[in-house]
Amino acid sequence: MTYLRAVDPFPLESADDTKLHEFYRSLASGRLVTTRCLQCRTTAWPPRGFCGECASDRFEWVDLPGEGTIHAFTVQEAGLPAGFDGPRVFAILKVGGHRVFAALVNADMAALGIGQRVRLAPLRVADDPKGNARWLPAFTTA
Amino acid sequence: MRRAALVGAGVSKFGVRKASYRDLIWEAGKACFDSMPGVKPRDVEGLVVGSVMPERTAFQSHISSLAAEALGIRPSALSARTEHMCASGTVGIRYAYAFIAAGLADLVMVLGVEKLTAPTGEEAILNMGTGVDREWEAPFGLTAPPCFALAAQRHMAEYGTTEEQLAMVGVKNHNHAAKNPNAHFNKGATLDQVLCSRMIATPLRLFMCSPITDGAAAVLIASEERARTLTDKPVWIRGTGQALDGFQLTSLHADYARWPALDRAARAAYTMAGVGPREVDVAEVHDCFAIAELIACEELGFCGKGEAGPFVAAGRSDYGGEVVVNPRGGLIGCGHPLGATGVAQAAEIFVQLRDEAGARQVPAAAIGLTHNNSGMGEHVVMIYGRDRA
Repeated sequence: MTYLRAVDPFPLESADDTKLHEFYRSLASGRLVTTRCLQCRTTAWPPRGFCGECASDRFEWVDLPGEGTIHAFTVQEAGLPAGFDGPRVFAILKVGGHRVFAALVNADMAALGIGQRVRLAPLRVADDPKGNARWLPAFTTA
Repeated sequence: MRRAALVGAGVSKFGVRKASYRDLIWEAGKACFDSMPGVKPRDVEGLVVGSVMPERTAFQSHISSLAAEALGIRPSALSARTEHMCASGTVGIRYAYAFIAAGLADLVMVLGVEKLTAPTGEEAILNMGTGVDREWEAPFGLTAPPCFALAAQRHMAEYGTTEEQLAMVGVKNHNHAAKNPNAHFNKGATLDQVLCSRMIATPLRLFMCSPITDGAAAVLIASEERARTLTDKPVWIRGTGQALDGFQLTSLHADYARWPALDRAARAAYTMAGVGPREVDVAEVHDCFAIAELIACEELGFCGKGEAGPFVAAGRSDYGGEVVVNPRGGLIGCGHPLGATGVAQAAEIFVQLRDEAGARQVPAAAIGLTHNNSGMGEHVVMIYGRDRA
């Protein structure tokens, strides 16, 4: 449908579009990184350009482990938005002391359970309108 | 601070409507003015409109001015739109209340309206993804059902809540809606029907979810002095509270079955009203999904933490129980036209506390509560009283 093609459900990830570009650049090479505040040393997830603890906007990039465990999950079978197919697994993960929300792609459905190990599986999605590649921090069952 | 009261209320028919955005505004406005014959549109000094996504569904912004003109209101004290996702309506009521309490207005309409089924059914669900984080959540295809399904999974894991108990919320609210001619659904439901309905996001099935619905609702709020000149049965605003845990899923309480912001919002409202949960006769709570009603009953203090499954299954939140929860049918039975929901909740408490709710009347209702949330992390509570106190 012509009308729907005008809707872009993915973030703009290029250096021209976001202060968090480094996150996406690292993700494209298989690394999960996030921000650490240079003033109060709070490590955030997801990454952020302003520290909600001390109001600093200076930060550095630090690595997070590329694996974790499932804290909660659900399998959505119906009612997904246009352009997204089911069944689709959504999960809250525990990764390096942070809670991370992600979709589990190519998951072993029989292995799904609280405590199940998962690993980072960067997902390439549609290029942005200028032709830049885009990636999402998806996970899969380990 | 001045007192304020609801003096009028009206609701459009909710459903998949053959009606425009403006038609819905006219319907709710008409019903509200009809409930308060002493007030003409030109008497209304302020208008707040709760509406979430008219830019996408009606290709329209500048909403409060549009609605004021549509209804013949000439705002002289207040004109504003509230966009606060699913809680937009109640947030609008709080603004109107604050203006009246501060002495800046004497008579304000709060109207909630949403034309969610336009422009296409496919886009309707995509549009709902604007309520979660565009960068970290929605790109995965996340919308509300899986968010609340995650809470249901944690509630089942932590407290042993069962699918049957979740289904009982759907049964109760569909059956309540059968007595509400303005509800989206009017057929009621059996436990088997709910448990056999299509799986949406495990463990939430279709009849445990609110549908995508068009609708509008309006209330008139007056200062004490103005209310006394208009009606013998004002419904007093007794207390209010709002609190935020977070916006992103990963900012919320780790177990997702616990909503501390709702506990804080409720405590603020109870303290202000000078009542406790045991004194609430009728409550309109935000059952966007069955799990939300269970967790709300716990955080509002109607039952203990983790006990809401057995509480609803035993009928303790139905007619004849300790508190009647969602007599109009809730969001599950009435539908959830986002901005309209909080206002429609207030409209139900208005008729309940005036003993005008007909087949849905909760006997001798004196204290009513509404709970509206935007996501699992933000909650708004209002407490209304038949008596000024």
